[in-house]
Amino acid sequence: MDFLSTPLLVTVILGSVGLAIPIIDSLKKERGSNNKLYCGISVGAILLIIGIIIFRIISGEQIPTIEFGKGMLADDMFGSFFAISLLIVSIMVTASSWNFMKNKSNPAAYYSLILISSIGMILIAYSTDLVMLFVSWELMSIPTYALAAFSKRDPISNEAAIKYFLFGALSSAILVLAIGLVYGITGTTNIGQAIISMVNLQQDLVPISLFALALFIAGFGFKMGLVPFHMWLPDAYEGAPTTIGALLAAGTKKAGFAAAIRVIILAIFVLHLEWSMTLAIIAIFTMTLGNLGALIQKSVPRILAYSSIAQAGYIMIGLALAPYNDQALAGSLFHIINHAVMKAAAFIAVAAVALTLTSYSIEKYRGLAKRMPLTAIALSISLLALAGVPPLNGFWSKLVLFSVAINTGPEVWWGPYLAIAGVLNSALSLGYYAWIMRKMYMEDSPDTSKVKEPRAIVAVLIFAMIFMVGFGIWHAPILQFATNSVPNLSQLTAILPSIPLK
Amino acid sequence: MTDIQGIIGFEGMGINAWMVWILPFIGASLIPAIAKAGNRARDYIAVGFALSSAVAAATLLPLGIGGEQVHSQVSWIPILKLQAGTLADPLSIVMANIVAWISFLIFIYSVGYMHGDKNLTRYWFFMLFFIGSMQLIVLSDNLLMLFFGWEGVGLASFALIGFWYHDKKKDFVGTPGHYAGGIQMWASPSHAGLKAFLMTKAGDIMMLSGMLLIFTYAGTFGFTELLQDQSWALEMAKSNLLVPAAVLIFGGAIGKSAQFPLNEWLLEAMTGPTPVSALIHAATMVKAGVFLVARIGPLFFAVAALNSSQFFEVVAWVGAITAFLLATQAMVNPEIKKVLAYSTGSQIGLMMMGLGIAGLSTSFVDGFTAGFFHLMSHAMFKASLFMGAGAVLHAVGSRFMTDMGGLRSKMKKTFIFMMMSGLSLAAAPFITSGFWSKDAILASVLESGYHYSWVLFGIAVTVSFMTAFYTFRMLGMTFFGNKSKFVQETEHHHPVHEVGSVMWIPFAILAIASIAVGLIGFAFEHQLHEMFSAYLANTFNIHAPVPGGEGIEAKSGAEFLDLQGLNPIAVSASVGAFALGAIIGGVVYMGRVINPEIVSRNIISRAVWKFFFNRWYLNTALYWVAVIGPLALYRIVWRYFESTIIDGINPGLQGTMTYFSKVIKAGQTGIAQTYLYVFAAGILIIVMLLFL
Repeated sequence: MDFLSTPLLVTVILGSVGLAIPIIDSLKKERGSNNKLYCGISVGAILLIIGIIIFRIISGEQIPTIEFGKGMLADDMFGSFFAISLLIVSIMVTASSWNFMKNKSNPAAYYSLILISSIGMILIAYSTDLVMLFVSWELMSIPTYALAAFSKRDPISNEAAIKYFLFGALSSAILVLAIGLVYGITGTTNIGQAIISMVNLQQDLVPISLFALALFIAGFGFKMGLVPFHMWLPDAYEGAPTTIGALLAAGTKKAGFAAAIRVIILAIFVLHLEWSMTLAIIAIFTMTLGNLGALIQKSVPRILAYSSIAQAGYIMIGLALAPYNDQALAGSLFHIINHAVMKAAAFIAVAAVALTLTSYSIEKYRGLAKRMPLTAIALSISLLALAGVPPLNGFWSKLVLFSVAINTGPEVWWGPYLAIAGVLNSALSLGYYAWIMRKMYMEDSPDTSKVKEPRAIVAVLIFAMIFMVGFGIWHAPILQFATNSVPNLSQLTAILPSIPLK
Repeated sequence: MTDIQGIIGFEGMGINAWMVWILPFIGASLIPAIAKAGNRARDYIAVGFALSSAVAAATLLPLGIGGEQVHSQVSWIPILKLQAGTLADPLSIVMANIVAWISFLIFIYSVGYMHGDKNLTRYWFFMLFFIGSMQLIVLSDNLLMLFFGWEGVGLASFALIGFWYHDKKKDFVGTPGHYAGGIQMWASPSHAGLKAFLMTKAGDIMMLSGMLLIFTYAGTFGFTELLQDQSWALEMAKSNLLVPAAVLIFGGAIGKSAQFPLNEWLLEAMTGPTPVSALIHAATMVKAGVFLVARIGPLFFAVAALNSSQFFEVVAWVGAITAFLLATQAMVNPEIKKVLAYSTGSQIGLMMMGLGIAGLSTSFVDGFTAGFFHLMSHAMFKASLFMGAGAVLHAVGSRFMTDMGGLRSKMKKTFIFMMMSGLSLAAAPFITSGFWSKDAILASVLESGYHYSWVLFGIAVTVSFMTAFYTFRMLGMTFFGNKSKFVQETEHHHPVHEVGSVMWIPFAILAIASIAVGLIGFAFEHQLHEMFSAYLANTFNIHAPVPGGEGIEAKSGAEFLDLQGLNPIAVSASVGAFALGAIIGGVVYMGRVINPEIVSRNIISRAVWKFFFNRWYLNTALYWVAVIGPLALYRIVWRYFESTIIDGINPGLQGTMTYFSKVIKAGQTGIAQTYLYVFAAGILIIVMLLFL
């Protein structure tokens, strides 16, 4: 393996910085009070990695689309696309922690855990081997259990972390079982080879492969927040510290999608096309339940948690249609990067409110436009983008997904229904997005005093606003990037050299 | 994966064309932040951005004169295969320079005129936004981006016309107490802003539908793409949609350029600060409509040479009607800025006539050049006149010319320069740019070979006469005769005095420029003619007719002051119209030999006067049809439809959704065992789904 390949560089740089931070902390005299230093180091390290990856893409060193080599990790555009999306989330979370972690204990552990979890997320996207994927999965998950419980004296945070851990452990067990089944059937854990052997599977082994597939859907679906594996999610996102909520909703969730695209989509394509209808059914249930659940919540992070369930449903449209339409996965990836920024921005704006007004309740958002104007406008823009209002970035990715659903052709009779469900759900979602904005802009609060807006958070929010509005007006570069990163399934032989195409 | 570079890459001069319209937008977005640093910094930086945009435009000038074109595109909306791009060709380069440099002078003038206003941050923001949008219209390479700029211009004009939205009595426009047909004829700034916005919007909607019609057939909005593959035009012509689509797009120009029947907003638009009026009338907004016709006219002519004559007939006649209609009204109005506003509408009508006649004649380039030349000279003298009028308003403090008079001695510079640009508007023979450009229009009408060209020619000559008359009337009432009572009373408080140099220098430059261009007018016109005939021939393959059949143009090779190409009928008609109008206007209002009151002694002339003064009752008709009628309809709909049916359905829908949401909330118990149970059930369901 090339020691200068992107995944290895990410591991080495982020890993060494992540491990160095606690060591520096133990050498310092005043332990646990160097928040700004660690924050700066982490942001710097992530920026460096983003720079390296972008440089590699632009200089053309990276293999376009997706690769399934014989090794553990591939150095391909698909992985880099997720790496950039996830690192944008990580940098937004770490930068806003400049304010959020101020005067809180153990900053060193906090930043270190975020960096290590980021490595896990990125490696998932680059994995070409089920064992590597599982190891990365755990590398991503375990730090987040600790992070979710970071406010250790807060019982709600503890409960959230316990629930999250319980389900994380369950899903890990399920994944191990699934990987074991695949190994049992095919005798290999390399994704590419496993899929090649599945092409000529004995008829009596098909039920077992089906069961393995179901287990993969359940295992990954837990992180993606698909219905019915979503129950833990509102509790955990709400209970965890708000910045960690952003990391979970915008970051780890996307890593789940990366894993799902690597494994499930190819498996379905090779095994049996009609099974992707299962994913369509999951998509419709996920988006509908997410939106309905959000409708009458009183706590803003909880609304955002439900909204992220609904958004996972939109992304699933692309996964369900992937075997039929080459544009579908590009649409999913496009929505993934957009959603990562929108949801992270929304959570971070909520973190700013939680930090200054010490409340999550929607009632505290009344008259926020006058008290914290920048936070209010950033939250509004990200909510509008989540709802898919033009000309923000969320509109375009939804447009790609829905138009793919309509245009896929007669062999997918359920395609248009997906689009209709998506459009109706977008309309429904405005019910609660607009409600929050109404509270902020149209109602007056009893307390009208100006609140000082945390500076680092404001900077992060301004970046996010530029992203959402800028790539809303001119979305071509990102869509191009997404299109270049996805596997072109109709030319599967190019990715998996020895497959006889069906 | 070098596509990412490719889609951001610009080549050569392409970037300058982008900068021309992007810089004002950047400036606009920075202004609110800079305002924190101080008012002076804000004012100068706004002017600086206008200058930098103008310099960027000037760098394109060599390309334009050389007849080259720079077309740079980036991928914009891949789903619809849309490209964003700028197209710098001779037409857009010349236009961009007119817009940029006149705006820059108006910006300098604004520093003096708007000094001390409390809301200057808003003012500069929208002024920069205004010229950015206008340059986007000019330099866009496709109809869709042009439409974005089009709407930006509409928004900025709305905000700037209604700039003094506190609606103080002094900022109103129109004669208080004047009703026509039951409709109030004076308006507040906020009302005027809204009126301009809505009336131009009516045109915009027509334009949008025309654009989309073409897009449906052609699959592109790009000007060059539309020209390359012309099959769409055949398709549309087959289903008789080509001319309707073109006329619909022209509807946008009618609205923006205040042509009949959407002309009424232009007069109320005088509520805006005077620099805004100057900007709207000289460089942006109303010129956008003329530019649009100049942009799409050759295109339609090229793709459907025989089918498009109806479109050009519409353009020419709309122009002729507007020119006549507004010139009559300009003759009777007592407000200095409104006279200028009527005059703008009327002059734009003449430009439209020139561009329309281009498509009806055998020599497209003659009318095209004439219309565009008139746009250029009009931009110079009208900006100068407006700024001069602003100086007068500033000094006197009243918008009525009856409150002025005898300012000649007190405001010498303003008087001289307004006289110069006024002569240009009145088309004083042989020394003013206005004369040459108007003469070019008259000549192209005469030589067009269009069936009714004599009627159009008659209208144009009549309009020329009226133009000379109202110009002299305006100058006479303002600067000649004795001081009015109002001026005498004002002088008790503070004497009327000349404005500062920051204000008079900009309009002096333009006044001198319009005379300078006039002195070399004929040669200038030839240069323009050659440039545009090369442009039309290279880009659209429209060639001027060749009398000898040897590929030599009829008028090429004209030397300086070689008057061989002049049309004697046009010149003599033009000179005669000017002389008649100038003599009557001069005798009545400058010499004050005859009292204008005689009009009211005769019953017929009084009726005509009243008809003109009441704006031909068009405004009245507009309000009855478009405001009072729909309001009545709205009340009926609200009473019988909204309050009964809609309000009945609404709670039901809301209740259903709330119910489902409550069900889901009840399921979310918070107990981990429930969650695990659901998780397990989920796996079971998925296995079942897969096995089905």
